[in-house]
Amino acid sequence: MGTLEIGFIFGLVALGVYLTFRVLDFPDLTVDGSFTMGAALAAALIISGVNPYLATISAVFGGAAAGLVTAWLNLRFNILHLLASILTMTALYTINLRIMGKPNLALIMEPTVLSPFQSLGIPSMYLKVIFVAVVVIAIGLLLAWFLNTQYGMAMRATGANPRMAQANGIVVNQKIYAGLALSNGLVALAGALFAQTNGFADSTMGVGTIVVGLAAVIVGESLFNSRSMLVIVLSCIIGSLLYRLAIAVALNADFIGFTTSDLNLITAVLVGLALILPQLRREWKARKAAKGDAA
Amino acid sequence: MIRCEQLKVTFNPGLATEKRALCGVDLSIPQGEFITVIGSNGAGKSTLLNTIAGDIRSSGGRLYFDDRDVTALSAAARTRDVARVFQDPLAGTCGEMTIEENMALAYGRGKRGGLKLALNDRLRTLFREQLSRLNLGLEDRLDAQMGLLSGGQRQSVSLLMSALQPSKILLLDEHTAALDPKTAALVMEITDQIVTEKKLTVLMVTHSMRQALDHGTRTLMMHEGKVAFDLAGEERSNYGVKDLLNLFAQMRPDGEELDDDKLLLGA
Repeated sequence: MGTLEIGFIFGLVALGVYLTFRVLDFPDLTVDGSFTMGAALAAALIISGVNPYLATISAVFGGAAAGLVTAWLNLRFNILHLLASILTMTALYTINLRIMGKPNLALIMEPTVLSPFQSLGIPSMYLKVIFVAVVVIAIGLLLAWFLNTQYGMAMRATGANPRMAQANGIVVNQKIYAGLALSNGLVALAGALFAQTNGFADSTMGVGTIVVGLAAVIVGESLFNSRSMLVIVLSCIIGSLLYRLAIAVALNADFIGFTTSDLNLITAVLVGLALILPQLRREWKARKAAKGDAA
Repeated sequence: MIRCEQLKVTFNPGLATEKRALCGVDLSIPQGEFITVIGSNGAGKSTLLNTIAGDIRSSGGRLYFDDRDVTALSAAARTRDVARVFQDPLAGTCGEMTIEENMALAYGRGKRGGLKLALNDRLRTLFREQLSRLNLGLEDRLDAQMGLLSGGQRQSVSLLMSALQPSKILLLDEHTAALDPKTAALVMEITDQIVTEKKLTVLMVTHSMRQALDHGTRTLMMHEGKVAFDLAGEERSNYGVKDLLNLFAQMRPDGEELDDDKLLLGA
């Protein structure tokens, strides 16, 4: 159940990463910081007595602001997108510590976004999964719809062919700002939900978020090859679930002997494989085609 | 009506690489005129187009669309009045998006993109009907990825896209130069068809003298950032490629030979 719950939460991260890496062609590493920021803001606000829903919405805006900073550094000052996002991410580490006041916060006895549903009598373990699944799928559907609107399509054109976009009257910089804000807002929402379902926020919890998100996107892409926004968005979420499942299997299979500390290596190898295999397949196909011509 | 008054563009001003690309172009393009522009490399043809589109900022002079001074407007703001087709077939369309999505983007040119779905049945019908005029069988492939189309097909769709919204001027920047001669002829045929039907005002840069004389209603020759010749009407119809070549030679008093094969060989 924990695997499903985290899988859905990271589905949001995958959607955010899909927006930047794929839609906007803007590799954005800010997410490592904005995930923690979402968790930190939500936790700190809830502890200080703010309504959990309000705290979660604040977290989304916090993440969006972080995305805007990265976009600003890149667009206004021509700092390479990767570097701009690393700068923001680094700054966020300190900011997150400041928000929390200490390296981690516990939310065990505090109200969360789940509290209103606890009276339904569903065991908390299932309630968490259902809640997270509903939220993430609803957001996924909204995002798919958004990407098919005039604004969303303009955003896609901005990433795919900025010159064409501009020639059709699309103000590309504005779309990049909006896209990064949206992406990091989604990731911060993931962080806020993670903090509330797992009962803590920690200053280092965001490390590797980008790789996990990317892994989910790539797993999803390799399974479903479609141009339909709905399919792509759902495949990001499914990719995230499958990725979590693969990790859980790898860690639980005693005969392999992996421990939790091996997680990062496993992730890197999985993502590496997902990137390498399509390339190898292309090369293999090309070689076969060349042979066919010669014969 | 598009009017350029002493339009000037200088690249890298003050540097050793300073280049005066436009040195005061005066030009007025009445509505409905189809102007072809020729000139050797570096004559300022593309710079003129890009300055009208707003991609390049002019360093002097003024530009008017009708009576409106648009000199200070950004490229995005000018797209309400300016439609374009680029030389590179890959530049004018999004290869990763479908035909109908590309057309929806062009349909939104110059409008504010809102949170309405970009595609609907009404638009699909319109796009299908437009595409069927190309006779390329694309009307049944609305949801095909643009990247799967050939260069000629993409250029043809780009042309259709540029005419989906009204414009004050259509800028064609050597839009057939990257195509093989047969496809280029087909795309020119489609160009003429669309321009005539929609009564578009056009500025077309070309490397081919034949093309420059065979199409449109007026021909400009640019040289060193200025309009060197402006042919129209009777005089133009009596001109052949040979005469144009003579004009070229006259403009180069140092006896520099015309070595640009494309000018002679172009379809």
